Amino acid sequence: MSIKNEEVNFGKSEQFNLTMIPGKFARSMRTCKIFQLFRFIVINIKMLVVVRKSH
Amino acid sequence: MSRLIIMGGGVSGHTAATFARKWLGKDHEVVVVTPNSQWNWIPSNIWVGVGQMSKKDVTFPLAPVYKKAKIDYRQAKAVSIHPNGKADSDNSYITIEYTEEGKEGQTEELSYDYLINATGPKLNFGATPGLGEGANLGEHTVSVCTADHAEHASHELQKIFEKAKAGERQKILVGTGHGMCTCQGAAFEYIFNIEHEAKKAGVRDMVDIKWISNESFLGDFGMGGLHMKVGGYAVSSKLFAESLFAERNVDWIVGAHVSKVEAGNIHYELLDGSTGEESFDFSMLIPPFAGVGLKAFDKAGEDITDTIFAPNGFMKVDANYAAGAYENWKASDWPRTYQNPTYSNMFACGIAFAPPHIISKPMSSPNGTPINPTPPRTGMPSGIIGKAVAHSVCDLINKGESAHLHEASMAEMGAACVASAGKGVFNGTAAAMTVYPVVPDFEKYPGTGRDTDYTFGEIGLAGHWIKHILHHLFIYKAKLKPGWTLIPE
Repeated sequence: MSIKNEEVNFGKSEQFNLTMIPGKFARSMRTCKIFQLFRFIVINIKMLVVVRKSH
Repeated sequence: MSRLIIMGGGVSGHTAATFARKWLGKDHEVVVVTPNSQWNWIPSNIWVGVGQMSKKDVTFPLAPVYKKAKIDYRQAKAVSIHPNGKADSDNSYITIEYTEEGKEGQTEELSYDYLINATGPKLNFGATPGLGEGANLGEHTVSVCTADHAEHASHELQKIFEKAKAGERQKILVGTGHGMCTCQGAAFEYIFNIEHEAKKAGVRDMVDIKWISNESFLGDFGMGGLHMKVGGYAVSSKLFAESLFAERNVDWIVGAHVSKVEAGNIHYELLDGSTGEESFDFSMLIPPFAGVGLKAFDKAGEDITDTIFAPNGFMKVDANYAAGAYENWKASDWPRTYQNPTYSNMFACGIAFAPPHIISKPMSSPNGTPINPTPPRTGMPSGIIGKAVAHSVCDLINKGESAHLHEASMAEMGAACVASAGKGVFNGTAAAMTVYPVVPDFEKYPGTGRDTDYTFGEIGLAGHWIKHILHHLFIYKAKLKPGWTLIPE
């Protein structure tokens, strides 16, 4: 039986149990430097588009 | 020769002043009146609050910058506005009281042709018994609203971590200190940065962290929440906010009005009318905001404050203050030019203007206690509004009274926000978000009130890099370094 540490918190409260918690892969992608470099470019483009629409 | 006075040197006022100086010829004066000697990049105060930055990293002295820009800088607080002049003169003027070292308490009258109120908020700690007195922070909690507060908060937090390391379990409570606060985003950033630092310090398992706020749901942020597209679904910010809290083991209480703060304990009331208490070892509670308390007088010296200011102390502008019930609210209620309706040479920008109503759904407990967030005016809208108001005033000066006024409605502009969830070049994260428009327009975008093609949110290291870069970019811009106008608000 594998312990999925990321799922432990579901059991800590009713509030936690009724929401969603990212799994190991989703969490690791948040700090994966290569992937985040790509996201950095995409997010900046999205932000610049909104900034441009707002000025 | 015309004189423009800007009261306030924060994000909005500084933006207005520096652009006005750039656009007005040398025949016209630009005066900034602010009680502060330093400019503060407020979004980074949360990092000062956890010891990841120092006060020096987030502030710089205003005097040299204004001297370079040829802006007349008065380190003073504005006290009163006299738009009709006085008995022996029709010239509009304000009264100021110096806070500059060596001139403290000295008063002066400054006449103006145009006036911009960018005074920002009074941090109304006194609105909650025990949270503070007037605009002064009390002794039971900390704050990250100013750089000085944040430095103090950092020192107190370190004491908590030391106790935790010594084996004493600690309880941390962060959120809003009144039923009508705004700035939930700043509290959100602070709580997750504390959690991140607790992990780094190796004491996370000895620290219980809890959130308390006046939002009716997590993820409201004073904007009624937002909807974004994720994985083919349109999703409420509630889902992602709750997810982060659950992931990071941070409990939450929402729909709460903190009614009293004592040493190590708060009392609160919930939307269902029930009451409760929470104990704490360390607590940061955002205070509610009010206007700074400017008064206004007519030519005969009669008090006309109510004519110019709303009851909350913010300046009336071209908003619809008679919108009535929530069901009648429209995007068009929100101001466009930020011109005072009574005095056409007076404007307000940033937090200083009186919103027509809140953005979130109004709520109160069965006891009649209002428990709902008030509208946020974050950096980007504040800067855009400051620039638009400066542009209007400059056109009025240069082109005459019939000049077209520039518009910057929050119902027609977006905002890009980055909410830090922990600092670290390789292990930090932040939620990068765009919202379009800031104030939802349910007529134009039925259902969500926003354009979901331009409203999104994502948490990751990229967001942290963006927040850190913006820290440096906006301080560079505020210092008027070469190319500063190329950096958008």
